[in-house]
Amino acid sequence: MTSTSRTGSVVDQMRTFVEENFLYLRPEVVLGDGDDLLALGLIDSMGFVELVEQVQSRFGVQVDDAEITEANFGSLAAMGAFVARHGQE
Amino acid sequence: MCGVGGVVRADRDEPVADGALRRMAAALRHRGPDGYGLARGAGVGLVSTRLAIVDLVGGWQPMQARPGGPVLVYNGEVYNHLELAADLRREGVHLRTGTDTEVVLRLLERRGLEALPLLNGQFALAWWEPGPRRLTLVRDRFGVRPLHHALTAGGDLVFGSEPGALFASGEVSPAPDLHGLDDVFTTWGARAPRTVFRDVSQVRPGHAVVWQAGRVVHDAAWWSPDVGSRTDPAHQPLEPLLRDSVRLRLRADVDVGAYLSGGLDSSLLTALALQESDRPLRTFSVAFDDPRYDESPWQQQVAAALGTVHHVLRVGPSDIADGFRETVVHAATPLVRTAPVPMRLLARSAREHGITVVATGEGADELFLGYDVFKEVLARRRSVEHPAHAAALDALYPHLADRARGPGWRRALSAAGDAADPLFSHQPRAVATHAVTGALYREDVRQELDGVGSLDRLRAQLPLAFDGWDDVERATWLELTTLLEPYLLAAQGDRASMAHGVEGRYPFLDHRVFEHAMGLPRAERLSASADKVALRRLATRLLPPEVAARPKQPYRAPEVLPFFGVDAPAWVADALSPAALEATGVFDGQRAQGLVRRCRDGRVQGQREAMALVSVLSTQVWFEEHCGPGRVRHDEETSRPRVVLDLDETAWEVSA
Repeated sequence: MTSTSRTGSVVDQMRTFVEENFLYLRPEVVLGDGDDLLALGLIDSMGFVELVEQVQSRFGVQVDDAEITEANFGSLAAMGAFVARHGQE
Repeated sequence: MCGVGGVVRADRDEPVADGALRRMAAALRHRGPDGYGLARGAGVGLVSTRLAIVDLVGGWQPMQARPGGPVLVYNGEVYNHLELAADLRREGVHLRTGTDTEVVLRLLERRGLEALPLLNGQFALAWWEPGPRRLTLVRDRFGVRPLHHALTAGGDLVFGSEPGALFASGEVSPAPDLHGLDDVFTTWGARAPRTVFRDVSQVRPGHAVVWQAGRVVHDAAWWSPDVGSRTDPAHQPLEPLLRDSVRLRLRADVDVGAYLSGGLDSSLLTALALQESDRPLRTFSVAFDDPRYDESPWQQQVAAALGTVHHVLRVGPSDIADGFRETVVHAATPLVRTAPVPMRLLARSAREHGITVVATGEGADELFLGYDVFKEVLARRRSVEHPAHAAALDALYPHLADRARGPGWRRALSAAGDAADPLFSHQPRAVATHAVTGALYREDVRQELDGVGSLDRLRAQLPLAFDGWDDVERATWLELTTLLEPYLLAAQGDRASMAHGVEGRYPFLDHRVFEHAMGLPRAERLSASADKVALRRLATRLLPPEVAARPKQPYRAPEVLPFFGVDAPAWVADALSPAALEATGVFDGQRAQGLVRRCRDGRVQGQREAMALVSVLSTQVWFEEHCGPGRVRHDEETSRPRVVLDLDETAWEVSA
């Protein structure tokens, strides 16, 4: 799988996860790839941990505590890029 | 400790039905299981249910000093009644009983509302003056004891310790107050005078409400918490003051016990109580199966070190689930936490062991800055003013897992609310409480609230002095008025313990201790390295050193597991069904299913969704039991009243 298609797959899978688990609160929201999940109020600190756990278990990526940042997990696109970067290591 | 209630008519020729008073007595029986009394006159009826603690033989109510004179129904205790009685006797007053009730009655007769500042205690009372046909409702300084009232369309006033008494009278019908509910789902309790019931008010703490001729003619504070005071505490050190507060609160003609959480405050009180009492002290604790909530090793350590007769109530998820409904019924409000459930079960346990009075440590964290909110607001302010210090936020709440304090955490603390907001200190908690629950409101509920949230109304109700206070002083006032009284002393305090006729006593809420604490230099309460500094210093002489130094562990109980584990009761799924939610009409039935699904799947780990689950579920129970067509209805009390006063008599017959 190319890096681009893997990124797309990560974004799509995480979009489905966020929609199923957090958008019940805001069904009117159409989630964009770059939307700030914290700023939208969709997830809290524990929700953030859920995202990290999902990325770890779904994509086999080991996440160090220092990598748990908004830059890496704050949006669907950020998570896609994070997984893609790890895939290249 | 008792329950009080009554009806006063604008038209004196309109009688108050005996049956209404007897139903009110039945609705308040749990508060006063030892018997009840009535007073009846033209257009007035009063009722009292009694938990006998002082002068077990002579203390029945309603109480009247002379035929045709004013009448008192009174719930609570005035602890300095012996000293006040001595003063009255010196003034030539003859007292017939050894009760604080009679002391309060005679003081009110002689001094009116100016007598109130003399009273050191926790009380709610109704004082009826037949001549002017005037009813005065009074509540203690911190609002330990409840007092509710409603004005009917005809100008009659119906009052009672608990809202259930008002509804039992048949004069008032229960219906939800959406703004009151929004208070609960924001700051954990409806703020007085508002309640969660439409057209039912509470007397505000430290206030007196006067009704006359069909309307409320006075509603004003006789005491208010001045958190910004700067008195010099040097003339009166803490230890003798706290000791005296404990000594006064051990006054009873029954055995007094203590709740022991294992933390600093209750341990300190227990140590002082043992020194001030010549009787063995029994202590009671909640222990949890789940080690995340359990403090039992600390409790055992303190009990063993002090030599109390210690009783442990072990609570598991099924106990929370089984006890939830009855706890909500007694609280008479939706809850955001399950923590009141074990407290009610603990009161039941104390009662089963023959204890009807317990000393407990509420108030210490507000007065001596023990709660995290005080450290939190200082760290948040620093991070706003000096963004380089934002990492200090990560050091808050060390008991949480590191990952839980990641970016979401920092954002929640730093971005919640405008730094200029007078409610800055309480924004993170309010946002966390309301985020999920508020998103589940039905559209028509949202429209009726009309964009005016609980915090908007709170901002409009702040005292004039608020602007002049610093962050910690503001947070202290907000803790006292938005959490301590509406939640900790109510659903988790009075309503939980009085459900089983057990009276909680709060030595830290002696107004002298409060005023002392407010006058302490800040560093005596909260320093860079420790909270409750003055208390810890005292504790080092009375408690094992590790207990005196122990950081606070927030008291919580399991919230999701009890309702979705293998032992979850069947009613939970029914109550959370879309149809049941729509029938109640507060939460969107379909939208809430997302939360239910996540709870069922075991995904919920965070506070926001856990609080939302408890909020939604308790709203269902509360509505069904208090507002719905199948709500609790009380039969008339059929036993003989212990006293019946005829208020139209102008002379008493003297029997041999």
